[in-house]
Amino acid sequence: MPVSAINTVAKARNGVGAFILQCKKLDFHYCDWAGSSRGMNAFIKSSLPAFAARNPQIEISVSPRPNKHPVIVGHYINGRQKAICVRNMTNHEVKEKALLLRDASGDKLKKVTKPVTSLNESVRGIWSPFHGSKINI
Amino acid sequence: MKRIRITSCGNQLLAQPTSRRPSCLRSPAALQNSCTPHNHRIQSRLQTTAATSDNPFDSLEASATQRSQSSNTSSKPARYPNKQPLVTLPSPHPSAAQHSAKLAALRSRLSLPQRFPLQTLARTLIHPSADPNPAFNNGSLSILGGNLLGYYTTEYLLANYPRLPMAVVFAAQSAYTGPKALATIASEWGIEAAAEPGGEVDPGLLQFKRLRSGDDLPASLRNQRRYKWNVTTTNKVLESDEFGSATQSPSSQQLSTQQVPLEEAAQSFVRALIGSLHLHLGRPLVKRFFRDHFLSRHLDLSTLFDFRTPTRDLSRLCAREGFEAPVARLISETGRLSRHPVFVVGVYSGKDKLGEGAGSSLDEARVRAAAAALKGWYLYRPTEVTVPSSMEGETDQSKWKPNMVDCGEVIV
Repeated sequence: MPVSAINTVAKARNGVGAFILQCKKLDFHYCDWAGSSRGMNAFIKSSLPAFAARNPQIEISVSPRPNKHPVIVGHYINGRQKAICVRNMTNHEVKEKALLLRDASGDKLKKVTKPVTSLNESVRGIWSPFHGSKINI
Repeated sequence: MKRIRITSCGNQLLAQPTSRRPSCLRSPAALQNSCTPHNHRIQSRLQTTAATSDNPFDSLEASATQRSQSSNTSSKPARYPNKQPLVTLPSPHPSAAQHSAKLAALRSRLSLPQRFPLQTLARTLIHPSADPNPAFNNGSLSILGGNLLGYYTTEYLLANYPRLPMAVVFAAQSAYTGPKALATIASEWGIEAAAEPGGEVDPGLLQFKRLRSGDDLPASLRNQRRYKWNVTTTNKVLESDEFGSATQSPSSQQLSTQQVPLEEAAQSFVRALIGSLHLHLGRPLVKRFFRDHFLSRHLDLSTLFDFRTPTRDLSRLCAREGFEAPVARLISETGRLSRHPVFVVGVYSGKDKLGEGAGSSLDEARVRAAAAALKGWYLYRPTEVTVPSSMEGETDQSKWKPNMVDCGEVIV
């Protein structure tokens, strides 16, 4: 056998070609009685239909959670969940939290130090001491 | 490699344009005397779940429609017209697909157009292990989709990299559309599996009979061929599938009512989705979907090569092509007498440098240089290619530019 091959799987590059929103489900939990849910209830009544229509990729479920603070839980494609307590927030603030959960990737937060992360190799190549013009000292 | 007549496959699945599609619902009494297990689900006829014209259901349906028109004119449209408990169904009723939030979300997530019906999407999620009835599982769609995936990947690879060795073509195929790749793609699309299939389960979940942990794989999924030392590449091209694998892909009949692992069900879903997209939306849209979701994935073909004797291959290649015999020359070096020397060696054929490599010994550097030269040859990519499928249905032949066909890899 002059040449054999190594079996791998091609790596995904979300956004190159197709983009898949990583948030797949949002749970909205509210309480009818408690005052901390006032903003959440207003959001569910007024803004949630428009939010759901604008983000059809996300499955949305609304359910009561009596005598508890209101919570938004996001479920992500990588299997993780993110929950944000939205107690005493206004309609607008709840909406911002929902947008935050929608745009999150589901990964743990980590510090990004490099300006570009890519699977492609560098166009310039890695600097080599053996190539290029010699420096005379 | 493998080609199928797609039109003939598709005609079996598409519904005939019949004028006597049932407009009113059948009475349960009319259905009692028919003994088919799925008769209560036939009446909501969908494009892909419909039976062909030679199917006995058609005549049954026509007579049932007439009967119900005469006797039961005031039948109310119900969500599940036949009041059979959902638990008795092996997989969700097709009409449940319209009410599933998961399915609608999945369709939007994959950017599929609204005209792609949710019922078909639900059907692609039903593995034969959950529902053995071929009118309701994804077995047939999966065959069609698998062949389409193989066709599009093969033509892309062969047109763009005409000199790839066959072993690398097989590896690249399986990296793009192999069983592992498809299972990965399904999980990256956010497909969730149902714990147990059944009529009451949300149709947006992948329905299959799960293999219990610790159980053996079913016989059809295991390696059926015995190991032979003399299985050649030619043998694989002729007898194996498009991945050159030792196992034959199991038919849907073999897998029905058997426990299968999640990967098997997930890959059948991806294949069935491609097949159903082809039937509902047509070739251009499937090709775009394939480009966006499969070809856009990152695969560095130069990392797939595994040379055993690159220097010998290179000298055979130069002899075959009529080049001067390759000669390795030292370009630069450092620290020859130290603990970590570095040598940079180039392989030259006459005055042309074929490849260059660095290594910590002269021999290592020479082998690396020969491998680089071989990769430079095998990974040649023509600037303009026209893949065969782009000319399907075209009347204007002037757009076609013949692709390069290479005489093949070096045989030592």
